[in-house]
Amino acid sequence: MLLDVASLDAFYDDLQALHDLNIQVERGESVALVGANGAGKTTFMRCLAGLIERKRGAITFGGHNILRMPAEAIARRGIALVPEGRMLFPSLNVEENLLMGALGRRPGYWNLQRIFTLFPLLAERRRQMPNTLSGGQQGLVAIGRALMANPELLLCDEISLGLAPVAVDQIYASFSRIRIEGTAIVVVEQDVKRAASATDRVYCLLEGHVTLQGQSRKLDLEELTRAYFGT
Amino acid sequence: MGWTGTIVNGVLLGGLYGLFGVGLALVFGVTRIVNIMHGEFIALSAFIALGVSSLLPDVHPLVLIMPVVIVSFALGYALQAVLVNRSMRLPDPLAPLLLTFGLSVIVRNLMIEGFGVNPRHIRQGDFGQLSIDVFGIPVGVLPVVTLMLAVTLFVILQLLLRRTELGRIVRATADNAEIVRLMGVRPASVYNIVMGLSFALAGVAGLMLALRTTFTPFSGVERLLISFEVVVMGGLGSFWGAMLAGIALGVAQLVGLRLNPNSGFLYANLVFFAFVMLRPNGLFGTRQ
Repeated sequence: MLLDVASLDAFYDDLQALHDLNIQVERGESVALVGANGAGKTTFMRCLAGLIERKRGAITFGGHNILRMPAEAIARRGIALVPEGRMLFPSLNVEENLLMGALGRRPGYWNLQRIFTLFPLLAERRRQMPNTLSGGQQGLVAIGRALMANPELLLCDEISLGLAPVAVDQIYASFSRIRIEGTAIVVVEQDVKRAASATDRVYCLLEGHVTLQGQSRKLDLEELTRAYFGT
Repeated sequence: MGWTGTIVNGVLLGGLYGLFGVGLALVFGVTRIVNIMHGEFIALSAFIALGVSSLLPDVHPLVLIMPVVIVSFALGYALQAVLVNRSMRLPDPLAPLLLTFGLSVIVRNLMIEGFGVNPRHIRQGDFGQLSIDVFGIPVGVLPVVTLMLAVTLFVILQLLLRRTELGRIVRATADNAEIVRLMGVRPASVYNIVMGLSFALAGVAGLMLALRTTFTPFSGVERLLISFEVVVMGGLGSFWGAMLAGIALGVAQLVGLRLNPNSGFLYANLVFFAFVMLRPNGLFGTRQ
């Protein structure tokens, strides 16, 4: 098993955002997290990346407990987060943004040339600044930047938010290519149908609890809807 | 000396003022800290330069740049690593400002304790007094060298930030210190280097100041004011803006002194005041 999250609680100030989460991801697997706004999906992703300090339980990644590790150490161990809102560096051009991902010098398949092969558009725009790109193109840069780290686990938080359907299609199409290299993917997705069709397994979160989990192709949409809204 | 000479010398003085400001602009641009002890450090580096020059009495004054840069960089790096980074972790954003304010008082008084209040001067040969004649205008060699040195350092800094991996990391950290952590970068390490660079630049400025004029432990306070004016006029975080602002202040000061020899820095302050009224975002500033 690549990632094993056991009894994870996380807090913002006095507010408990995650309650006793148990989530597993196998090597090379793709998993979707669905849930309404405020369900704790982004909090969970930020916990895995090490950006939230107030948490307890166990997060085991590649056999090591990373619960207390700072974000920069977790990144070097092979977890890459595509953060909500993409968060490209506005002062860096496309190529420089991509190169930031490679700072950990982790060996692997992905390098600048192969990112440009995966997303040819970025090769054309390599000298452009992020704010001159469309949202979909920025999404590709954010994924490329994360891949440059050659992660074993790629976390994508709300990558389709605010994007045109065609741009979302392109992003999801790239996932199959990414998984060939053995990278596991966890996506946070609002669109339940897309989540179910693009991934192996789905976890549904509601108010910081897991309310449903199962294999994507066996998922009962009615049951999922109930888990999603808590009705 | 005619008006042309006054303006030429004002421009040359501006090189020094630009050098005062650029270190402050660099630290503010990356860490968002207003470093109140920047001026004290310029004065301290003048004393460091004095110490180095007494150890190496026979070398050319410009040879002192290297040891001053190294000592200054190390001091800045250590200060950030030991104290400032800790203050940045506190929830109150004013903490680093108060820290550097307190340090400026401590450093000033330590300098008074250690070096006394008598004006000092580095007399390394007659380099500080040399003058050349350019189209009938007497121009000091030291101010010309200072301006050339300032421009060279600005170009080096620009290349470092634009063309190197370290520069990429510094710019990315300035953009978003949380997100660079996802790339394996510890922002505190970046801040250490940036504060080291800022002190190195202030160190060179302090050395040039010490070669040019007399200084005391109180010299830092008015240099801090100049540094602030340079940074604000240039646009926060803009290096070339800082250089142009330094030149504008240098010219204003010398023109003012020519009109009224007792005016000191008054005219430069008036130019600054007028500028802030007309263009509050600075020459190259974009942020509100």
